Amino acid sequence: MRIVIILVFLVGIFGVVSCENMFDYSPYAIDFTEENRNVNQRNIGNLAATDTDDTIKIAFTGDTHRFFDEFDGFAKDVSTNHSVDFVIHVGDLADFGLPKQYQWGNSFLLKLNIPYFVVIGNHDLVGNGLTAYENMFGSLDFSFVYDQIKFIFLNTNSREFKFNGNVPDIFWLEEQLKPSEYFTKAIVIFHVSPTEGDFDPSMTEDFYSALGKYSNVLFTVHGHLHHHEIYTPNSDSIPYINVFGVEHRKYNIIRISNKQFDVETVEF
Amino acid sequence: MLKQWNFKIILIILLIWLVKGTDTFSQVSQYPDSTRYKRFLPDYMKLQFAGGIGFVSMGVGYTFFNQKLDVSYFYGYVPENVTSDDLHSVSLQVTAKLLRFKINENLEIMPLNVGGFIHHTFGSEYWLKLPEHYPPGYYWWAPGRNAGIFLGGEVKTSFLSNATPASGTAFYVRAGSRGLYIASKFGNASIHLNDILEFGFGLAVYR
Repeated sequence: MRIVIILVFLVGIFGVVSCENMFDYSPYAIDFTEENRNVNQRNIGNLAATDTDDTIKIAFTGDTHRFFDEFDGFAKDVSTNHSVDFVIHVGDLADFGLPKQYQWGNSFLLKLNIPYFVVIGNHDLVGNGLTAYENMFGSLDFSFVYDQIKFIFLNTNSREFKFNGNVPDIFWLEEQLKPSEYFTKAIVIFHVSPTEGDFDPSMTEDFYSALGKYSNVLFTVHGHLHHHEIYTPNSDSIPYINVFGVEHRKYNIIRISNKQFDVETVEF
Repeated sequence: MLKQWNFKIILIILLIWLVKGTDTFSQVSQYPDSTRYKRFLPDYMKLQFAGGIGFVSMGVGYTFFNQKLDVSYFYGYVPENVTSDDLHSVSLQVTAKLLRFKINENLEIMPLNVGGFIHHTFGSEYWLKLPEHYPPGYYWWAPGRNAGIFLGGEVKTSFLSNATPASGTAFYVRAGSRGLYIASKFGNASIHLNDILEFGFGLAVYR
């Protein structure tokens, strides 16, 4: 009798074990599947394989935190209603920096049938979020050229790195902006604006001068503040576009054509 | 470095307990009520797989109120080959065994165990107190301390009770979640219940 019961239990357990991902070892265990790894680099490849025309259309979202239903709504709206070329998430994909939240966030982005990119936000760095980001998305600073425009993604979460003087990496930014035959204009995307206290105040001036150095930055885009606004914080008059956080059920589409741009707000 | 030390210290404590424990067990069986150690000895040892507190976790604990309430302390380990970095953690658990059916002399079934736990992961990135480079209240939770709840069941047999001083061996299962996952699920139909559950099972050897 006893043996039978034990056997039944063992068989039951074996059945449960064979179901994938049922067991959690730790909230900080990172064991991502292939589709959840190297996401930004893979999307750079996917984007390079698409056709370009004279207009680039990008949908921006960000600060998705725990607004998972709204995030899901955003992904559905973008993939059904608008012919955008790609999507950019301006950071704070994982509210507690948890690997599970990274997976949930990416599961909505995977529903998009177009390329997408995620820049790192301060919330994404809590706990072992840095490792999770590197595993899922790749380098914290990265760039690509699409249709003669260079898109530069920069980690500006200085506070998360204890204001160590290396975040943001201004040397890398300058290097990226150095004119070349491959691009005419550049767009810089980051999470925390230099006007915020979470951005290293001792690096603000260097940041502005790096952005203005080659007079080729068309505009910058950031999140962190959740509302939408276009402003010019510095005398170089480079526009800063703060895009909507997803909880407003609104997002911004930026259209770039002939070195000009316009910003549209979409409700969903 | 700190993590390695934690691991070593816990290992040493466990070894001491094992050596002392078995030694005392033999005394207990010879002179049932004569040993002072007995009341302080843990009432059981547990070995658990998964459940969110480690790939494998070893625990010791005490039972109260005629075995209706368990208080256990676990050390859990996640090796590097199942995650990107090995993880060490400890957790304190309280389990209430609400129902108990004695099938026969050798078999008891406890189908409704409910409990709560506090889980602490070691490492500077899993802080308990908001580090000084943040303004007060910048983050409302602490990554180093997670609390959660679980539901489970247990089958206790007299297995091992004849050959050893142990009174029996139990097999248990559990499904739980933790505050940070429940907060993530809250108000979100797009996050499925299954996504926030942590399943685990284990063996308990009772004294």
